[in-house]
Amino acid sequence: MAEDSFLHLARPLGPVSMGTAPTTAPLNVVIQPQAIFSILDHSLRRNADQERVIGTLLGTRSEDGGEVEVRCAFAVGHSEAEDQVEVDMEYHKQMLALHLKANPREVLVGWYATASELNTFSALIQNFYSGQGDGTWPHPAVHLTVSTEAGKDLETRAYISAPVGVTAERAADSAAFIPVPYELRYGEADKSGLEAIANAKDAEDRSTNIATDIEALERAIEEVLSMIDRVSRYVESVIDEEAPASTAMGQFLLNALALAPKVDPVEIEKDFHNHIQDVLVVSYLANTIRTQMELSNRLATAQLTLGGGDAAGAGEGNQRNQRGGKGGRQRQDRGSAAEETRA
Amino acid sequence: MAEAQAPITAVKVEALVVMKIIKHGSQTFPTVSTGSLVGMDVDGTLEVTNSFPFPVVETTTESHFDNAAPNPAASAPRAKGNAAYQAEMIRMIREVNVDANNVGWYTSANMGNFVNMNVIENQFYYQKELNERTVALVHDVSRSAQGSLSLRAFRLSAKFVEAFKENKFTSEECLPPPPNNTIGILSNIRYQDIFEELPVEIHNSHLITTFLHQLQGPSTSGPIELPLSLSALEASPFSKSSILTPNFDNLTLNIDPFLEKNCDLLLDSIEAHNTETNNYQYYQRVLGREQQKINNWKQKRAQENATRSALKQPLLPEDEWQRLFKLPAEPSRLESMLNTRQVEQFSRQVDSFVSSTTGKMFAVKGNLLPGETAN
Repeated sequence: MAEDSFLHLARPLGPVSMGTAPTTAPLNVVIQPQAIFSILDHSLRRNADQERVIGTLLGTRSEDGGEVEVRCAFAVGHSEAEDQVEVDMEYHKQMLALHLKANPREVLVGWYATASELNTFSALIQNFYSGQGDGTWPHPAVHLTVSTEAGKDLETRAYISAPVGVTAERAADSAAFIPVPYELRYGEADKSGLEAIANAKDAEDRSTNIATDIEALERAIEEVLSMIDRVSRYVESVIDEEAPASTAMGQFLLNALALAPKVDPVEIEKDFHNHIQDVLVVSYLANTIRTQMELSNRLATAQLTLGGGDAAGAGEGNQRNQRGGKGGRQRQDRGSAAEETRA
Repeated sequence: MAEAQAPITAVKVEALVVMKIIKHGSQTFPTVSTGSLVGMDVDGTLEVTNSFPFPVVETTTESHFDNAAPNPAASAPRAKGNAAYQAEMIRMIREVNVDANNVGWYTSANMGNFVNMNVIENQFYYQKELNERTVALVHDVSRSAQGSLSLRAFRLSAKFVEAFKENKFTSEECLPPPPNNTIGILSNIRYQDIFEELPVEIHNSHLITTFLHQLQGPSTSGPIELPLSLSALEASPFSKSSILTPNFDNLTLNIDPFLEKNCDLLLDSIEAHNTETNNYQYYQRVLGREQQKINNWKQKRAQENATRSALKQPLLPEDEWQRLFKLPAEPSRLESMLNTRQVEQFSRQVDSFVSSTTGKMFAVKGNLLPGETAN
C-alpha cells in the first residue's frame, strides 16, 4: 500500500462558485474491507473493452464531517468515449434507493474508479457526486481510485475536490483533486473472516475450507511456536556473538518474560481442577440431555408401534412420568453446574 | 430441471460475500439479520458470488404455524415485499455483470441457535417457490467472535420437504417402520433428517489475493537496523499490528461466558421440550378417555344388539360411534423434532469447545507448573 504523508491546507475558495462549493476542510477517510472487496469484484466483472469502471461509495460521516467511513460500494454502469462520458444516473438513483431501504443509516459519501488516472471525466463525475440535490453537498464527495492493472501492485488513493475555473461553464467540468489520507480499518467481527480469507492467499486454487475450532487452535499454537523459535534463535546468535546485540531488544524481551505470572502451585492446581470439572460436566450434561430428549421422544411415540390401545396408554403414561422426574432431577444438576461455572 | 442435474455437494463462497455477511450480522447483533445470495451453480457446486441484505419491514408473517415468533427480520426472506425487493435488486445487479441467479439466503445466529421454525420456513420457501437448488448460509456471530469463523451451509433434505409440504408430523411419521409394515408408513423422519449440511469453501479472486499479499506490512528483506531504545522499538513499523497479523483470539482461556450461554440455551431447550411433552401427554390422555368412551359405547351397543336379536328386533348399526365421538387432533411432532435437533447442535458445539479448551488448559497448567505434566 502506498504510504504517503499528508499536509492538508484548506485554501480559500474562488469567488466563482461561492455558495455552492463544498468545503475542502481536512478530512480523514476510513475504508472498510467490504468496500474494497466490492470494488475489486466489480473491477473483475467489467466489460472487456472498459478501461475502468466506476461506482458509488456509501458509508457514514462523523458529526463534524472530519471523518468519512466508507462501508460499502455498488457498481454503476458507465461508458467512456474519446470526447464524452455517460454515467447511468438513473441506475445510480434506483440502486441508492434500494440500498438505503436495507441500510437506512448509510449515506452517499462519494464514488470510486478502478484506475489511478484523473481526467476531465473524473472531474465531471466528481462534480456530479459533490453537487447539490443528489450529491453529497454540503460535504465533500470522496473519490477513491483503486488501480487494478494486471501485473502491478494495487494502488489506492483518496481525494476530495475543490472547484477551479474562471467561468461557470469551465467550473462544471473541472475540479482540483486534493489527495486526502485514508486508512484501512476493520472491526473485531471482521477479524475472523479476514483471517479465514487470508488462509487462502498462498493456495494455488485460491480457496480454503473453514477451519474447525481445534484446527484453528493448532494453527495458532504453531504460529506462536515458530515465533518463539525465531526469538530464541536470535538470542542464541547474540550469545554466540554472531549477531549484533541490542539493549532495547534485550529490555523488550525481558519485559515480555516478566509478564509470566508468579503463582502458587497449589492455587493453580485448585483452579485448574475447578475449571476442568466445569467444562467436562457441562459437556457431559449437554450430551446426556441430548440422549434423554431423543429417548423421551421415542418413548412418547412408542405406544403406536407396540400395537396401540388403551392399556398401552396407561403404561406409557407411567413410563413418561418416570422420565419427567428424571429430567427434572437432571435439570437441577445442570442448574447447579451453571451456577458453578458462574461462580 | 433439478432431476437432470447433479445434486448440490458443496458451496463455494467468495471472500466478498463472507465479509458482507459478517458486516451485516455484526451490525444488527444480537438481532437476527437476513439477506439474499446470488451466484451460479456449476456442476453441483454452488458458487456464491455476491449478496445483499434484506430491508427489515414490519410484516405479518404468513406462517401456517400460528405460534411462529413475530420477528420481522427473521422472516424477511419469505415476506412478500422482499420478494419484490429481491427481484428488483437482482435485475439491477445484472446490469453490472454480477451473476444474477438467486442461490439462497443467509442468516446470522447466536451460539448456534438457528434451528427454528423461521429458518425451516424460509428455506422451505426458497426450495419450493423460487429454486430447488438454493442454500441457507448460517453465520454464527458469537462463535466467530471467539476466533475462528463459523459459516455453515444447510439445505432441507428432500424427505423433510416432502413431509413439510403435507404437514405430516404425526407420531406415525416419526417412527421407524415396524417390521410388519402393515399400516403403510411412508416416511420415518428423524431429527437428523431435517438438514443436510454442505461443506463450505472460501474462494478469493485474483485481485483479492494480490490485495492480501500487499497488506502484509513492511517487507523483511534486507538487514534491519536494530532499535536504539525501547521506545524506538515500540514505535517501529514492525511492532505495530499490521492488518493481517495472525489472530490469537482463539488462544484466550475464556471459558465461563461460553459455558454460561450454552447452559442458558440448553435450559431453554429443556423448557421447550417439557412443554411439547406435556402437550403430547395431554393429547394422549384425551385420546385414552375418548377411546374408553367409545369402547363403553360399543359394548353397550353390542349388549343392546344382543338383547334385540334375542327379542328378534332389527339390529342397531354398530358404527354410529364415528359420528358421536370425535377423536382429538394429534399435535405436530415437528416442534419437538426441531428442538431435539437444536439440542444436538448445542451439544456438538459444547463438545468442540471442550476439546479445544481442555487442550489449552493442560497447556497452561504445564507451563505454570513445569515438571508436573508427566502425570
